Amino acid sequence: MNLRQTQKEATRRRVLDAARDLFETVGYEETTVREIASQAGVAVGSVFTCFASKAEVLSQVMIDRLEDLYAELDRITPHLRGTVVDRLSSIFALHYAFETRRTPLFLAHIAAAYNWRQGSDSVPYGRNPRLRGMIHDCVADGRTRGEVADDADIPLIVDTLMAAYAWNYRLAAWEQAGPEQMSAIMEKQIALVARGFAPSAAA
Amino acid sequence: MKHVAEVQGQSETRVRMPTRRALAKQQTRAKVLAAARELFGAQGYEGATIRDIAAAAGMSTGAVFANFADKSELFREIMTSDLESVLTAMTEAAARGRTVDEALLKAFSAGYAFYRGQMPLVRAALGLSWSCEDGQALRALPAMQDTIELFAEQLALGVERGELSQECEIKLRSQMLFDNYLANYPQAVFGGWSLEALQARSRDQIRVILAGARRG
Repeated sequence: MNLRQTQKEATRRRVLDAARDLFETVGYEETTVREIASQAGVAVGSVFTCFASKAEVLSQVMIDRLEDLYAELDRITPHLRGTVVDRLSSIFALHYAFETRRTPLFLAHIAAAYNWRQGSDSVPYGRNPRLRGMIHDCVADGRTRGEVADDADIPLIVDTLMAAYAWNYRLAAWEQAGPEQMSAIMEKQIALVARGFAPSAAA
Repeated sequence: MKHVAEVQGQSETRVRMPTRRALAKQQTRAKVLAAARELFGAQGYEGATIRDIAAAAGMSTGAVFANFADKSELFREIMTSDLESVLTAMTEAAARGRTVDEALLKAFSAGYAFYRGQMPLVRAALGLSWSCEDGQALRALPAMQDTIELFAEQLALGVERGELSQECEIKLRSQMLFDNYLANYPQAVFGGWSLEALQARSRDQIRVILAGARRG
């Protein structure tokens, strides 16, 4: 990496850190690119050499955050024990705990996905292939251990759980629910679906 | 427009006819609501300004504010009348189902059919529903709770008919049905899903959610 690339990377890093803090404390809609630049200590023009729009900054902030989460999950998931319900509950609970560390930022991300003025370059919430993959593996693994019926439609079960997972964030938006409350409801929802895919139910 | 029709219907039963001024006010409100619906659908909630709405309705911003406190009240008014109409359609559709699966599927489908062609408005509502204040106001609309209640009633009928077990956790299950019903709207908004695709998905979701509650 030459000096110029190093400098550009440093600017990018500073812009992302500043944006993350401003989106969290001031709000996404309320924060201007000018303010991001000023907080990062760079020129407005420099922000635009790294990112096409404020929406793209938000998308990148969220992608970076997810990398931290998945580093954490990669460490934890091999150690998960218990039934398929227990394991699924743990994976979702870790997501809730992570996202509620910065609830306003997360909610801004969701709301931004529906905003017209946003370009099509922003990634709608709920497109989380890593989580989907993890849930899929967990249910498939349950099938090899005999906890899930052989004829269970796994992708469909994953979809149903993901829908419940995503919409439970409304509790954070509307009732300032914490991660424990959301995880407790999710666990009940998982158990309810599990009664449908258990081998005895299919027999 | 259902809202306006109702108000006029009530006024006819009164002894005194409504004054010309009251009628003019009703017409103004209806004009503003029609223009607002158009603009929210075309430009989203954030993108549509009161100034634009007033211009589209052919009146001054002052005239708009004389009838509505702010933009969020306008949006809420549109949502309220839509949600009431859609709930009526869903209730009628559910009554035509012979089994619990069929009744729920018909209800879901009636909802999606109602909003077909109005996806931009749905998108605006979904975006708004995630904000703290406006989201709360939307959720507080009686028709939202009544939709969950409709699903609960269908589950209770399923228990009565012996299709579902007594211990089928109606409250949690109806909430999950509602979550899945709503979760399909983003697919329609962003993925452009057809009514048929939404129905196929709903049929599967209902099956998964009810699987643990079947009798026998």
